[in-house]
Amino acid sequence: MAEVSLRQLSKRFGPTQVIGDLSLDIPSGEFAVFLGPSGCGKSTLLRMIAGLEPLSGGEIHLGGARIDILPPGDRGVAMVFQQYALYPHMTVRQNMAFGLRNIGTPTDEISRKIADAAEMLEITPLLERKPAQLSGGQRQRVAIGRAIVKQPRAFLFDEPLSNLDATLRSRTRIELARLHQRIRSTMIFVTHDQVEAMTMATRIVVMNRGQIEQVGTPMDVYRRPQTRFVAGFVGTPAMNFLTVAAVSDEAGFARVSLPDGSTVTTVIPTKALPSAALTLGVRAENIQPGGGIPARVDVIERLGERTLIYANLRDGSTIVYDETGDVQVSIGENVQLAIDGSNAHLFGADGRAIRG
Amino acid sequence: MQTYRRGSSFTDRALFIAVALLAIIWIAPIIWVVGLSFKPNEVLMRTTGGIAAPPFTLKNYTDILASSSVFGWMLNSAIVAIGQTVLTLVIASLAGYGFARTNFLGRNALFVIVLAALAVPEQAIIVPLHTMFAMFDLHNTYVALIVPRVAFPFGVLLMTQYFRAISPEIEEAALLDRASRFKIFWRIVLPLSVPAQVTLGIYTFLHAWNDYFWPLVSATRPEMYTLTIGLASMQTNFAQTEGIGFLMAQAVFAGLPVLILYLFFQRYIVSAVAGGGSK
Repeated sequence: MAEVSLRQLSKRFGPTQVIGDLSLDIPSGEFAVFLGPSGCGKSTLLRMIAGLEPLSGGEIHLGGARIDILPPGDRGVAMVFQQYALYPHMTVRQNMAFGLRNIGTPTDEISRKIADAAEMLEITPLLERKPAQLSGGQRQRVAIGRAIVKQPRAFLFDEPLSNLDATLRSRTRIELARLHQRIRSTMIFVTHDQVEAMTMATRIVVMNRGQIEQVGTPMDVYRRPQTRFVAGFVGTPAMNFLTVAAVSDEAGFARVSLPDGSTVTTVIPTKALPSAALTLGVRAENIQPGGGIPARVDVIERLGERTLIYANLRDGSTIVYDETGDVQVSIGENVQLAIDGSNAHLFGADGRAIRG
Repeated sequence: MQTYRRGSSFTDRALFIAVALLAIIWIAPIIWVVGLSFKPNEVLMRTTGGIAAPPFTLKNYTDILASSSVFGWMLNSAIVAIGQTVLTLVIASLAGYGFARTNFLGRNALFVIVLAALAVPEQAIIVPLHTMFAMFDLHNTYVALIVPRVAFPFGVLLMTQYFRAISPEIEEAALLDRASRFKIFWRIVLPLSVPAQVTLGIYTFLHAWNDYFWPLVSATRPEMYTLTIGLASMQTNFAQTEGIGFLMAQAVFAGLPVLILYLFFQRYIVSAVAGGGSK
């Protein structure tokens, strides 16, 4: 395992810049997740680390040594692809042995490594099968096994769970987290699924338009989003955003007025606020019934253990809030809501969060 | 409960009857040829109808086996067909992989030229080919019979398309597995393209085995005749009033290797005719 250091990376496809001046340090042994919407450059970044995509600028270091000048096979990384990319004409054993043979590993050592990895991933009975004879989940394990036997300094995962069904995806998430605990290797995982990011990452790197929006622990990213983009992208349902009509001071903290006239007192110092337009951000779980903000229920989403209720404020804007699973509520019902100002966020016109 | 039965609709039945009729029309001459090959030549001088009625004979076939030339021509055909097939596969695979996976200056222009070659009829280049091989004094050699056919644009196109359809991720995985470019081609891509190789191989072999025009131009010495040319050379009797049974037996004999090939590789031949590789 080794530290991965990206220094001022950039990538252009013709005139289009997909990664721009990006720097990031991933400490050794970390499970870093690159999270972002489609087209944000996260997969391109991973492929640049792997050596499958040439750099337009910058440097990549692994364990202190520069690797961007090396061919993919010499970088000391192993990659698990979205479509698994197993060699269809080879058995599972041959798939796992291929890379080791290419670096001249002795046969008995290859056998031992394959046996160890197969046991760890519970694929020993599948070793003589070909990929076509395996289920999606089994193929995924083989792809991981193929990476493990190489004992790379860093593992790269390119949306490897996206082809699995929901149950298997959730199980594989746990297994990958367990695998990381066990081998403590540096892992970089690319996904657009925030649940995957939240559940597996030790650090999340939120990306948007080829730039890093925020780097932090899952709860840090969730609780203290640095930009409106992060606030909206991380969390289900997405954070509510309400335009702030006016700001007043209450004991040094900002009290904001919403377009419908209701007010919310935050814990953000008034002096920190810019004069430009502000947006209030609040998560569904920080809105409860029983306050003074009138709203009318528009849509009810029952998820079992919780219910999401979409309600229209008087000015027409919609907010979503959380209720218990068996809450008695009906569409068109008038409710009074309270926003927990202590967990509310304010975003400036540039999209950046304002902190005290 | 409703059950779905295939072929129950009127359209399906009409299609079945039409296909059966076409098959009968297509196969009738072949049955006739096979039937005539078992009839004495003397009988066939009077009439070539009634193939089902006796007398029958195996003499036409024993005459072929007694002739020294036929086996030589067959060997020539086999050498030419196998040679063409092997070389075509090598060239089409390498060129196809180059077009599909490598990025070099003028790739697209070169590919268009290859595609344009598909539109050039064989007859248009026969004179320059003849002149060229005459200049190098290569006529009446296997080289002359094999080489002009190995640059097969359709083969290059087929292999290019097939290689393009193979997931690039598989090759990228091999790159990360520290495989060289050639190793990726040899150990990963080539084994994956076996269905296309078989399709192209059969197509090339059949084409080479049945080829008549170029061997007619290039092979002028009887010992260099291929089977098609050799059989044609025996048809000295232009009125076809005698030796018809012998001629038909030769036709059947010439077709046997192809029939055997068909039985072994039926699946791939069907997909080749259907215009794509079977995966």
